Formats: sequence, structure tokens, C-alpha cells
Amino acid sequence: MGRSVRHASRARSAVFAPLGDHGRAARVEQRLAGAIRSGLLSDGERLPSESELASMLGVATVTAREALVALRAQGLVTTVRGRGGGSFVNRPKAPDAALVDSRLAAMSRVELRDRGTVYRVILAGCAELAAERADASDVRDLEELLVPADEPDVARWRHADSELFLSVAALTQSARMTREVVRLEADFGATLRLAYADAEFLKASAGRHVDLVQAIAAHDGERARATVHRHIDRAMELVVERHAQVRR
Amino acid sequence: MPATTTTLGPAAARVTALFEELFGDIDRVRGRLEALFGSGPVDAAAVLAVVEADARRLLDRGTALGAGFVAGRDALSDHTLYLAWWQGDDQQLLGESEAPASGAPFDYTRREWFRVPEETGRRHVTGPYVDYVCTDEYVVTCTAPVLANGRMVGVVGADVLVETLEGILLDPLDEVGATLVGEHGRTIVSADHRLAAGTILDVGAARERVDCADLPLSVVVLADGQG
Repeated sequence: MGRSVRHASRARSAVFAPLGDHGRAARVEQRLAGAIRSGLLSDGERLPSESELASMLGVATVTAREALVALRAQGLVTTVRGRGGGSFVNRPKAPDAALVDSRLAAMSRVELRDRGTVYRVILAGCAELAAERADASDVRDLEELLVPADEPDVARWRHADSELFLSVAALTQSARMTREVVRLEADFGATLRLAYADAEFLKASAGRHVDLVQAIAAHDGERARATVHRHIDRAMELVVERHAQVRR
Repeated sequence: MPATTTTLGPAAARVTALFEELFGDIDRVRGRLEALFGSGPVDAAAVLAVVEADARRLLDRGTALGAGFVAGRDALSDHTLYLAWWQGDDQQLLGESEAPASGAPFDYTRREWFRVPEETGRRHVTGPYVDYVCTDEYVVTCTAPVLANGRMVGVVGADVLVETLEGILLDPLDEVGATLVGEHGRTIVSADHRLAAGTILDVGAARERVDCADLPLSVVVLADGQG
């Protein structure tokens, strides 16, 4: 526990490190949103005031204010006026790490593999069909979902991974298949994406996402399928490893 | 170049009439909204009040599965993103949309049905595609831009199930042995039972082709061995 607290406090101070010249409201918003979603900033915690935030991040007060307005619109921050007021972190009810871990711990190893197999077969099949059926505009839409390789926000990666796979499922042109994948995502997606806690996996993900979209663009079903296999197999290795730890 | 023929005329006219009826309803709502947005800041409640009756009437006609107004980013004073959109048998209001599984607010502004009217300033028909954000169904989406002060503040639109289009259009297409394709040459309904909806066809190589008004819809007869 001590180790994770120390790690957390270092990561926390990075949240408030100066942004530099290109720092703008959207980046402030992204950084704080990432910190809130990932739990670095805890639920109910009071954020620094607009002017404090501005000076910590090295941006103008209006920029900090703009970011806070955006965070409020996303429901990630609540502002209370008057004495004792301020902006407070409003953590979304998305599955947090402890919850996902406890769900994982409640599973047997064989159940975990069982679910992983269903996910792998269905998503690889979707990728193959998507490669057959996607048009140029579909490919552009997929490209928009790609996250820059140097993106450090784990929550953003998990979200992007899920959205990419859902979009690929929709390209099968089958509504039933897509609904099945939505169900799978709700059921198993958060567990599978525990793998993003691993920095190497996160980095490799960027390449695999690009490979997948390129394979679909090239109408190369075999390559699309193989890329999904590589991605999910590696994720499952890490999740099974995590499972072995939380089962103790 | 594809030859224009008269044999496809009746089928193309049937398709055009069906979509023009939808766009007629859409344009009425669009007119009301342009007046509303032209008169000052607008919130979700004001939009709902203006759109609801017309959207429900459109759905009552039975062709569309969902209909309404989808606001552009920050176009409303009280929401970043908002869908004044009714759908399903019970005509349920969508309101705010969340991305499936993750529950994060869903940014629809890059979707073709939003993006194309924004880029072209004109009406558009998207699909067929699986809409996993709103209906979870295989649909075609008609959208038209709502403009205020030279800027698009959102789209008015309607979703139609591909199944519904099949029910209405299969007979007229059968009579002339034709296929209805959408943008990108994607098959919507075909007289050829071997052609699945969603299959992409090379429309340029078709033996005959009639476009449906200014819509990205064409009725085609394929050359031998095509598809």
C-alpha cells in the first residue's frame, strides 16, 4: 500500500505541473478529467481555486475558468458558491480499479479464460468482416478514434480501445452482432482493459490499433483478425497475471 | 458513364417520394428551430418545446424509428451535447447520450450524419450502418442542417430501419430487377436476393443507374457478373 501511495503522490504532483506555452483550456480540461476519471483526484476533493489553478498550471485565469466550465459540463466537477464553496471533484460512477479487481477476484481462472475466449473469437471475427465491408469513410471514422502513441492517460486508452472495438463491430453491418459486442463490453470490457495498467501494453496498443485500422483499410481480413488476436492474447496474459495476484 | 433509362423511373420515383416525405417533415422542424435560434440563446427546454410535437407526428407516420434534433457542441446554453430525439415504439426521449460500456459522454459530432451536413450545409442520407449509439439497429439516417447566424447549430433528422425500407421498396425494385444503394455504393435493398444489405457495389460499373433527386441514393441495375 505504501508504494502505491508514494506513486500516487508523485503522479498527483504531475497533475499540477506547469503546462507550458501551448497549454490551453482543452489541455487543462483533459489533464484534470483524466486525473478525476483515473481516481488520482478523489471524489469530493476540493480543487484549487481558479487563480491558484491558473498559477500552478501556468495558464491564464480565464483558461482555467474555461476548463472548469467544461469539466462541470461533463459532470466531473461540481461548483458550490458562497462561503466554503469552490469546485469539487465529482468522480463518475464508472468502474474503478478496486471494483474491477474485486470482480476479477470473484472469478475463477477458468471463468476468466472462458470469457476471454468468447471475447477473442467474436472480436476477431468482427475485425475480419469489417475489413471486408468497410468503406473509405468508415476507415476515416476509425482513424479519428486513434490515440496518439505518447498519450499517458490510462482511462483515455481504455475508452479508446473500447470504442474502437465497438466501431469495428458495427462495421459488420449486423445490428445483432453489434448489440452482442455492446453486451460483451459491459460484461467483460473493464476486466480485459485492466491490461492497460501495464505501461508496455499501453505503448504496444498504439501500434496495434494502427495495424488494425490499416488492415481494415486494406481489406485484409486475415491481418485484421491476427491483429485482434495479438492484442487480446496479450491483454489476457496480463489479466490472468493480475487475477493470480488478487486471488491471494 | 452509366446510362439513364426510363425503366428504373418508377422505382426511383418511389424511393424519392419516400425520402422527400421524410425530409418535408424534417424541413418543417428545421424552419421552427432556425427561427428559435435566430432570436437569442436557446436551452434544452426551449428546443424540446419546439420539436416534440412535430417529431412525434413524424414517428406516428410509421416510417421512421427515431426523429428529432441533435445539437451541435455548445449550441445550447445549458448542455455541451444534447439530443432532443425520440425513438422506439414508446417514442422515448434520448436527451444526453453516453458511450456504450464506458458511460462517458458520447461525442457524436464526428459522425457522418452530423459531419456531412456541417461540411456541406446540405441534407444528407447516411448509411445503411449499425447505429450503436441511439437505436442499436441497422438504419439509414436522414439529416438536414439547422443554421443560425451562418453557423450550423445542429441537425434535424430521422432514422429509418433498413427492414422498413425493405418492406416498402422490395416490390418496386423487384419489378425492375434493381438495387437501391446509398452513399459509397452500399446496398440498402436489392431485387437480387444474393446481395446482402451493406454490400458495397461499384456503382460506376452498373449497367443502368438513376439517382434519387439530390440525395446520395441511386437505383441501379448491375452489369452481368457484378456483385
